[in-house]
Amino acid sequence: MKKTIMTFGLFGLTILLGGCATVQPWERDVTARQSMQLNKNANFTSAHEHIYFSKEASAGGRSFDGGGCGCN
Amino acid sequence: MQLSKKNKGRVGATLCLITANLFTATGLQAQDIVDGTNNPSAPDSAESLNVYDQPASTPGTTTIDSAVLFYKEDGGRIQAIEPMVSLTHNTENDSVFSAKLTFDSLTGATPNGAAPWKSSQTFISPTKQANGDDENEGRTGASGGTIVIDPITGQRTLEYTADAFMLPLDSGFVDQRTALDLGFTTPLTSGTKLSLGLNGSHERDYNSFSGRASIAQNFNNKTTTLSLGVNYEHDVSKPFFGTPTPFSVMSGDQKGPSRNKNVLSLIAGVTQVMTRNWLLQFNYSYGSVTGYQTDPYKILSVVDPATGAPQSYLYESRPEKRTRHAFYAGSKLALGSYVTELSARYYHDSWGINSITANMSEHIPIGDLMYIEPGVRYYHQSGADFFTYYLPSNVALPLYASADSRLDSFNAITLSLSGGYMINDQIELYAMVDAYRQSKAGQKDTLPGNNQDLKLYAGTNALSMMTGVKVKF
Repeated sequence: MKKTIMTFGLFGLTILLGGCATVQPWERDVTARQSMQLNKNANFTSAHEHIYFSKEASAGGRSFDGGGCGCN
Repeated sequence: MQLSKKNKGRVGATLCLITANLFTATGLQAQDIVDGTNNPSAPDSAESLNVYDQPASTPGTTTIDSAVLFYKEDGGRIQAIEPMVSLTHNTENDSVFSAKLTFDSLTGATPNGAAPWKSSQTFISPTKQANGDDENEGRTGASGGTIVIDPITGQRTLEYTADAFMLPLDSGFVDQRTALDLGFTTPLTSGTKLSLGLNGSHERDYNSFSGRASIAQNFNNKTTTLSLGVNYEHDVSKPFFGTPTPFSVMSGDQKGPSRNKNVLSLIAGVTQVMTRNWLLQFNYSYGSVTGYQTDPYKILSVVDPATGAPQSYLYESRPEKRTRHAFYAGSKLALGSYVTELSARYYHDSWGINSITANMSEHIPIGDLMYIEPGVRYYHQSGADFFTYYLPSNVALPLYASADSRLDSFNAITLSLSGGYMINDQIELYAMVDAYRQSKAGQKDTLPGNNQDLKLYAGTNALSMMTGVKVKF
């Protein structure tokens, strides 16, 4: 587990350091688009999370890992 | 984790695509630095005509979003209709108020956990004692169950039968769920946002309440966002016939009182604008679940160790503590008006379940007003330490055991297609269709004796469709 955490951490840090401070404020037009939003359609996301939570044992990662249903 | 040759191929293909995307993105990063330096006033959007290239943030607007989800599993198993409606108000000073109401209506059959056998098997439906009005509360006998009256005690129980060679399904599954979510996000200082939320849901046999708070802080000229959130959930399980004692014999008796479960979740994440057209997100989430996590309706077959014949049925038993860890990485990369989304998740919990999830989708603009988005998702999980298809009668009972297919080892593939169409500046129509297919991962177990033709794996295939309309004013 510790090895996995370190691997993810180092990988993430490397990429972040490589990408920092290269995008200027006037270059935000593309990342501000509707199509670039991390949760572009909230209903698609919530439907997927609800279905997968009821059929699979995993939860969390993208959001909190509660379920809010009996899902029997 | 064991992967079959076929699945190794799937994983390999997915990893190749992820690698290709990262190489492409890295190349674009270098290109963008040059573009940004030489001509910062030439935005990509000037060339883009598709309406989904417009900015997402619209202060001073209110949005009503309503949709219906249809979900149907193969073989007459669970089907659900889920209408939902949400109201979101963005104030002029970047605060957001939101409310969402969801209603679920579920019917159909669900595996009861027992192993199939060569002759028919009879089970007791987990309903209240079938006497008059109670018969129709939660579980019904309308799908073929038979009311049996004990000649001595006069107790009435509802029984149902699983056909020979078939996976035993409880076909009287009926439930409704209503959920309400309230959210509020506001800027605290420049670059800091606070989000608060409440959620509650009610089912006939289950209630859930949760509260959440998170904070997000921008750094590096708003190219880096760090976020930290906490969610606390309190659930109450109140099965129709009470909560059974673990490993007690299946019966129609009224059982124990309602039981509670608490979930503490923490999430920490970083979102980084890598280049003008590339976003990355990394999250770690932790969950600590304590309390009643047993499925009160699931049973296990106790079988003859030589022949595999069922001898009795016991209610399952699960640990009352579970700790979850999940690592998530997501990427969104725009090429013109096209957007490639990739994500991966690794999950581990204290019940011995490990899983990997890989997701890929492509946002494709169609004309000026529309997009479609084909996607594929791969999922693999190992089984819980205490998962078993049956209990041999000559072995002492373990501390925990469950035959719930959600705790089995399996693979799942989802193929999806979604899309949206902007009728005008205010109204968007959208739709989605998903085909979900589970398959057993690793070795396929069989019952003792010569019973290779009895399939123990209870995974499912499902089709879901959603259609909705979003109105902004």
